[in-house]
Amino acid sequence: MSEGIALRETTGTFGTLAAYMMRLQIKSVLIWGGVLGAYAAAIVASYLSFGDPERMEQIMSAYPPELMDAFGISDFGTIEGFLYGQIFNLIPLAIAFFPILALSSAIAGAEERGTIDVLLGNPIPRWQLVVGSFFATAVSLLFIVAIMGGLMYGSAILMDVELDFAASVEGVLNLWPLSMFFGGLALLCSAIFHRRALAIAVPGFVLLAMYLADTLGRVSADLEVYRDFSVFYYYGAAITDGIDWANFFGVSGVAVLFALLAIVVFRRRDIYT
Amino acid sequence: MSAVIETSKLSKAYGKSRGIKDVDLTVEQGEVFGFLGPNGAGKTTTIRVLLGFMRPTGGAAEIFGLDTKRESVRIRANVGNLPGEFALEDKMTGEGLLRLFAKLRGVRDMSYAHELAERLGAEMKRPMRKLSRGNKQKIGLVQAMFHHPPLLILDEPTGGLDPLVQEEFLKIVAEVKEEGRTVFFSSHVLSEVERVCDRVGIIRGGELVDVEPTGSLIDKAFRHVRLTFGESVDPRPFRTLSGVEDFEAEGDELSFTLHSEPDRMVKLASEHKLVNMEYERPSLEEIFLTYYGKANGKEER
Repeated sequence: MSEGIALRETTGTFGTLAAYMMRLQIKSVLIWGGVLGAYAAAIVASYLSFGDPERMEQIMSAYPPELMDAFGISDFGTIEGFLYGQIFNLIPLAIAFFPILALSSAIAGAEERGTIDVLLGNPIPRWQLVVGSFFATAVSLLFIVAIMGGLMYGSAILMDVELDFAASVEGVLNLWPLSMFFGGLALLCSAIFHRRALAIAVPGFVLLAMYLADTLGRVSADLEVYRDFSVFYYYGAAITDGIDWANFFGVSGVAVLFALLAIVVFRRRDIYT
Repeated sequence: MSAVIETSKLSKAYGKSRGIKDVDLTVEQGEVFGFLGPNGAGKTTTIRVLLGFMRPTGGAAEIFGLDTKRESVRIRANVGNLPGEFALEDKMTGEGLLRLFAKLRGVRDMSYAHELAERLGAEMKRPMRKLSRGNKQKIGLVQAMFHHPPLLILDEPTGGLDPLVQEEFLKIVAEVKEEGRTVFFSSHVLSEVERVCDRVGIIRGGELVDVEPTGSLIDKAFRHVRLTFGESVDPRPFRTLSGVEDFEAEGDELSFTLHSEPDRMVKLASEHKLVNMEYERPSLEEIFLTYYGKANGKEER
């Protein structure tokens, strides 16, 4: 070691880094939460326009059962069943893009913007950049689903619709592991590739492929076997059936595994700006 | 004195004909070291390997005796770094950046940061997206220096700065040196290197071709000579002197560059009535061009 130089030791940086990353996402959280919440509130309002539940059941019975199966619609006679068919069956396709966009930006995006050199010029271990981004996005996503759930439940109260509170919480909370699964994959791609576009395209493609595999598997016995490979199969219908906690933690675990793999990959590779 | 930066056969290969090769470099504590080379010569690659952003494909590098591959976090705790392309999140202000970096580095006293910002005229309250390149660079310099690191690694630090700010920056570098701290900076602006650097390393095509004290590099190079006589003289003996190039004769005045000792030329001139003799050392810029004159066809790195 160099003589006469009193070297500084590293300090705890993770909390500061994660807080910084969360601050960068505040605006996005409000926009995503607000837009998805407004959509959910509009769906709650539309429930009233269909009139009484029995009439709704009659309308729905006119649809082919294969179509109902494909979209996971089983019960439009209750607000929870209606919300599952109209919101929770489709909205993962949108909300998953929040963590995909945020985490694709964590490494590859920061390289493209040239900001990663400035940040890592500080005494920050590379793993903290990966874990900090994952943690910040996971927390931000919780806020988004909370805003969405709040607007959905609030509008139900205002419109005098009897929406079960616990079912609402479980419905929005169940979006979290599914979305973080694709976010984790985006983070891994961000660590592997140096281009953000690829880190968005790969999980985006997997998201659509898995959604299609699950949807087609519901209507075709020949394709049903492929549902096992789709994360949507493990997503279920939490607003009507409650959260399947084994699946909840299983899917969350895979998301964390993606983040751990991202650490391994990122620690070994060069950083380009 | 001890080595702050020490590399041994340091190599980084990536892509075709890119990277650095067998770079042996020692930078002593308390010196200002200029790392010279045109764009693409390998300056930034060397710096990125030193900071642990890139893994070397051969050789080794140590900073403060710490291995750059295994202990880069501890190294970065003691290094102030200005990247070649300083970029920040668009929404962030210089003030916000410094607060963040102070937390990350455990710095509580921000008085030096504010002093630097004032001296360089950095606009600390405007978001990055509204700043010119020069103003971003000022913030980059402040963030590199505000925590009093024992080593500053600066990649093209004066890029985009106006002359007055460049002057102030060079004063700050001199102060850093007086405090016994070390500065390693890459540049292709030779006048600033000539002014503040104790030693200069020249990199060409990824290879370190020379390391010299700045003065020696200049002393051992050619000289511009202009001789004015009181009468017309026969230019031929001067033209045929060993080491004479770019010879011009106009009336009673001869001018040429001399690549050898002046003894023979002085003796020859003394045979005539010499009215004036100019004997100028070249600028570092010219020396640099002589190194690169042969490398024009090299691929950019």
